[in-house]
Amino acid sequence: MNSILKNIWVLAIVVLSIMVTIWISLTSYNNKMQSQYNNILERYLIMNEVSSISQQIVTDLNNYFVDQSLIKKKALNHDKFKIITMKEEVSKFRSVENDFAIANYENLIDSFIETIDRALMFRTEEESEDYQEALSEATNISMYISEMTLDLIDTELKTYDSFYHGIIDRSEELKVLGVRLLMLITLLLLLFTYWFSKRITTPLKKLTLAASELSKGRFDLKVEVESNDEIAFLAKTFDRMRININNYLVEIKQKAQLENELQKNKLLLQESQLHSLQSQINPHFLFNTLDTLSKKAYLEGSEQTSDLLVSVADLLRYNLRNLDKTTYLSDEVYVLRQYIEIQKARFTERLQFHMDIDPVSLDIQLPRLTLQPIIENAIIHAIEPLEDGGAIWFRAVNGLDRVTIEIQDHGPGMSADKVSSILEGQSNETEGHSTGIGVSNVIKRLTLFYGVEDIINIESALGIGTKVVLNIPRKRRMDKDD
Amino acid sequence: MKYVFSLICATIKLVKSNERGKVFVRKIVITLLTLICGFLFYLTVMSATKVFTTDWQLPETKVTAQSNFRLVLISQDLDTPFWNQVGAEAQKQAKSDNVSLEVWGSYGNNHDDFLKKMEVAIYSQVDGIIVQGLDTDRFKELAKTKAAAYGIPIITVANDVSVEESLRRTYVGSDQYLAGNMIAKQLVKDMGVTGDVILIHNSEQQFYQEQRLMGIKDILKNYPDINIVDGETNHTREQVIAVTKGLLNKEPNVDAFIAVDANIAETMIQEIERRSQVIPYYIYSFGDDTESNTLLKQGKLDGIIEQSPGEIGKLSVKLMVDWLNNETNPLHLEGYFTDIRVLKAKDIR
Repeated sequence: MNSILKNIWVLAIVVLSIMVTIWISLTSYNNKMQSQYNNILERYLIMNEVSSISQQIVTDLNNYFVDQSLIKKKALNHDKFKIITMKEEVSKFRSVENDFAIANYENLIDSFIETIDRALMFRTEEESEDYQEALSEATNISMYISEMTLDLIDTELKTYDSFYHGIIDRSEELKVLGVRLLMLITLLLLLFTYWFSKRITTPLKKLTLAASELSKGRFDLKVEVESNDEIAFLAKTFDRMRININNYLVEIKQKAQLENELQKNKLLLQESQLHSLQSQINPHFLFNTLDTLSKKAYLEGSEQTSDLLVSVADLLRYNLRNLDKTTYLSDEVYVLRQYIEIQKARFTERLQFHMDIDPVSLDIQLPRLTLQPIIENAIIHAIEPLEDGGAIWFRAVNGLDRVTIEIQDHGPGMSADKVSSILEGQSNETEGHSTGIGVSNVIKRLTLFYGVEDIINIESALGIGTKVVLNIPRKRRMDKDD
Repeated sequence: MKYVFSLICATIKLVKSNERGKVFVRKIVITLLTLICGFLFYLTVMSATKVFTTDWQLPETKVTAQSNFRLVLISQDLDTPFWNQVGAEAQKQAKSDNVSLEVWGSYGNNHDDFLKKMEVAIYSQVDGIIVQGLDTDRFKELAKTKAAAYGIPIITVANDVSVEESLRRTYVGSDQYLAGNMIAKQLVKDMGVTGDVILIHNSEQQFYQEQRLMGIKDILKNYPDINIVDGETNHTREQVIAVTKGLLNKEPNVDAFIAVDANIAETMIQEIERRSQVIPYYIYSFGDDTESNTLLKQGKLDGIIEQSPGEIGKLSVKLMVDWLNNETNPLHLEGYFTDIRVLKAKDIR
């Protein structure tokens, strides 16, 4: 794994090694230059020393002449030894170019020493005149040595001229190199740092984006990070977490679905109870009997009874058909009229039924037996208990995408608790209902059928009356319930 | 500038416009950075190689001293055509004989400097000294005692000194007596057998001047009608002018001048010119230096002696090397004479 830590180490080591390389090369270069300088300087110093020692020897000789003590002689011998050593040093400077001059120089020193020895010899032999001559000769040679030293240094300077210029050029170039190196390293380091930081921050940015998406509730986006460091590991873990959460969500949804289906099954159970009730009567026998009764009544001149019997037969026939089937509002309304005819025969003037229907709304579809139980409910609660009876309004108003159906009475009304308990489907009264289907059944069936909650609304106040409002959509939302 | 600006504008527009533009600019930036990096790297490497390569050539150091002979050629008059030629040929010969030779000397006949160089050469114990002879006591002493004490052979060139006084091994150069003869003969030929001749020579009676005078007089004494007037001067300009003036005053009817020392000739001619025309006089000199040649070209000199400097240089080195190698032993004490001839004004024109 290419970890961030490792990357940082690599960066540090690279920078360090560059620094060390530069430092080492510059130091070695400096040392080399230094040794060259020292070498050259040494030559000049040694040559200069030769000339000063030769002068010193002449002085020594003079001193010895004046004061013939052992100390003076010792000093003289010491300096003589010194100049001999110097001569050997000088011979090391021999090169192709100054061979002749060095040879001359060495011989000059030899001649000088020889003259000194001669002077000493004359001195011991007390030959004053010869001694003086030798001394002046030695002085001359010492002067020549000084001059030749200058000449030699001059020659050296000329010989090493290009070398010196080379050194100067190099030190100039070194400055340029320093600037260029600094620029190059700066640029490279900046670029490398940019690349390096980008490598770390880009995956982080992606991760942040993914996290924010996740927090908004989008669990279906894959978290992808193209790197192979710790952040990639983090991203992978993060992705795994996302998948797990996603799985949980799906599970919860499935559970909700399951519960919904359970509810549905409960209703089906109720329906099946009804079916079992229906199946206790032989419908054909009942219809035939009712038809026979109707015809009999007609023949006996009781037309009203005959009509009533037809209504009852129609109502029963309609009710006994399959509850699952959808029907049109027109059919529902027709059955409603038959039902009202029957109830009018019962309540006579006490029941006043007002119907106001927009003909355009008649073609909408709705489940069978939705309106009749509500009207029946109104009759049971708002007409039956009152001595003077009451009025029931039925309205169907066509809207843009839904049809509003209102059933209103002026009965005693209900408390708000009762209304909410009906709407939540907790009360399950079926007593007094001719079909055994109560209002709550209707509500549940409508909710399941359309898949929306707000299909039915009940406005009620105690002592004023009740108004049931159905909002039937023109299009069903859940087609699978067909 | 305008183009660059518009380019930048276009680029910015492109970047703002779409993703493809971004990629394009990215590519440009990367290429640019790579180029800059490469360029900087190249410069750095160039600088580094310049700094770290040591291409200077230090002279090769030698551990042992050379075994071949060290010779010194010393002249009193460096940087003159004559001595340049002598030096060049001598160097050539030295190279072919595989000996080292250095040309030392003084400028403009500075005797002190010249003698100092001579002394240094002796104290430096060179193997051989080839020197322009100087007829002074100091020179002779140096040659006779100092050089002999260190066992250094001396060959005189161009100007000779007497062998007894200097103990020189030999002389290489023009035969000055012969030169005198030739000038005298030329004079007789040009002027005829009658006339007054002024011989001006340097008071520092140098050996070669004596030889020349002798050579001239030996010829002229055969012509009794030729009258010789001796003029003596030293080498200073004022003295030359004064002497020339005096002689012209004393001998207004003079016909010819001979400058026995070539260095006198120019000043002498200038002084004569101040008096009258130069053309009627027959004027001769022994030098073949630049001034003499110019004067000859101008027709102010009628004849000079042309020497062979190249031969002098070559032969002197050769003889010295031979002697050091014991090939020609002994050398001819009277000397080895190189070619001379009279160069006349009409030859040049």
